[in-house]
Amino acid sequence: MNPHRDEYLELCAGYALGNLTETEQKTLETHLEEGCPTCEVELDRLARGVWAFASATPRLLEPSSLRARVLGAVRTEPGKRPPIPLPRRRIAPVVAWISAAAAVVIAAFGMMEWRAASRLERDLAAARDEVSRLRQEIQSEQEWAAVAAAPRTRVIELKPTPAGSPQLHARVTYDPASRRAVVACSDFAAPPGKDYQLWAITKSGPASLGLVKADSQGRAMIRLPNAGDPFTLAAFAVSLEQAGGAPTTTAPAGPVVMVGKI
Amino acid sequence: MSDLGRDQSCVERMRTGDSRALEELYDRHNGLLYSVVMRVVKRPADAEEVLQEAWLQIWRGAATYSAARGTVGAWLVTVARSRAIDRIRSEGSRERAEQASGTNPAPPTKDASAEVAHRQMSERVGRALDQLGPQHRQVLELAYFGGLTQNEIAERLDAPLGTIKSWTRQALVRLSDLVPREDWT
Repeated sequence: MNPHRDEYLELCAGYALGNLTETEQKTLETHLEEGCPTCEVELDRLARGVWAFASATPRLLEPSSLRARVLGAVRTEPGKRPPIPLPRRRIAPVVAWISAAAAVVIAAFGMMEWRAASRLERDLAAARDEVSRLRQEIQSEQEWAAVAAAPRTRVIELKPTPAGSPQLHARVTYDPASRRAVVACSDFAAPPGKDYQLWAITKSGPASLGLVKADSQGRAMIRLPNAGDPFTLAAFAVSLEQAGGAPTTTAPAGPVVMVGKI
Repeated sequence: MSDLGRDQSCVERMRTGDSRALEELYDRHNGLLYSVVMRVVKRPADAEEVLQEAWLQIWRGAATYSAARGTVGAWLVTVARSRAIDRIRSEGSRERAEQASGTNPAPPTKDASAEVAHRQMSERVGRALDQLGPQHRQVLELAYFGGLTQNEIAERLDAPLGTIKSWTRQALVRLSDLVPREDWT
């Protein structure tokens, strides 16, 4: 047994960050394998620190092709499910030529059964995926429907500013408990080369909630999984930006055309 | 169901071979993974290759995830960041690793739809590190995005190794306060 020493705590920081030398890593892992509650608690704490640091990384826009590339690679991976075992057949010992003929027949039947089993396995997997997907969809829809029915839900009507067209109409339904919000917009057809952008106005300044992409009728429905912390959120606003949105996510560059205080 | 619960459910479904569960995780987390990986490798083409490898590893290794060691999101980022560090190390270019640190960040093609929650976390992390000092932020960036060992950081910053270890630990302990225990496992 290697008793706990404070130098192990220093190694824990490097371990959580993944920047120990091989020797240091081996030293700490040997110590951990022997069981050290002090280091385990420390590692748990430092790992949370690493996660906070990583999750604050400035967000970059990923290439739109990446999703298809990654998911395509995953789908072409060999299946994880164990193959369905094929029926075992026994051949009675008979004269050679009968055995050979029987083997051919059996092989043919075996191939047919194997194909059928493979097809059934694929169908079963597809059906299982579909059920799982539908279950998730239903659950998701129920959660979004709950936004409107939640006891603390606020409905905020955004009003056009002098810089905005009086035709613009937008309503935000915001549940402070779940932080979800549903934004319904109408008459939101943006002028050519422009985009409307939605903002959360917090105590520390504006934060982009994304672009409002209306359909051909000028209508848009936006679901926001996290519209902001109710303790810091003061209002929602819409600005009119160059196509693609404001250069930063922290301040509108174009005129603010709608505002609604919470 | 919370996002944490949804993520864990996805991992369980991935263990049964449900590729749609991986799609859900991808949609929720790849924005962060891409940003972290880009910060390390810097070139978009490299980042795409690294992320393809990382998601394949996540798909194959769903059984290795343990909720006791942290959130699914943290696990995904750890896998992606490790693959990114492997990439710059395999290219044998320490300069590239160093450039990946905060002194030379990735090109700012920012995601305009990034969530408010992310911005709030960034502000809290920024404030926490500001209270400590610039050297604390620097050691974290060199370690996390540059993949430098503590000895290499000590050489680079011309500071004693013990001081580097101390700065690193102080910074992580301070940041750990931003992630409550109940949001972790």
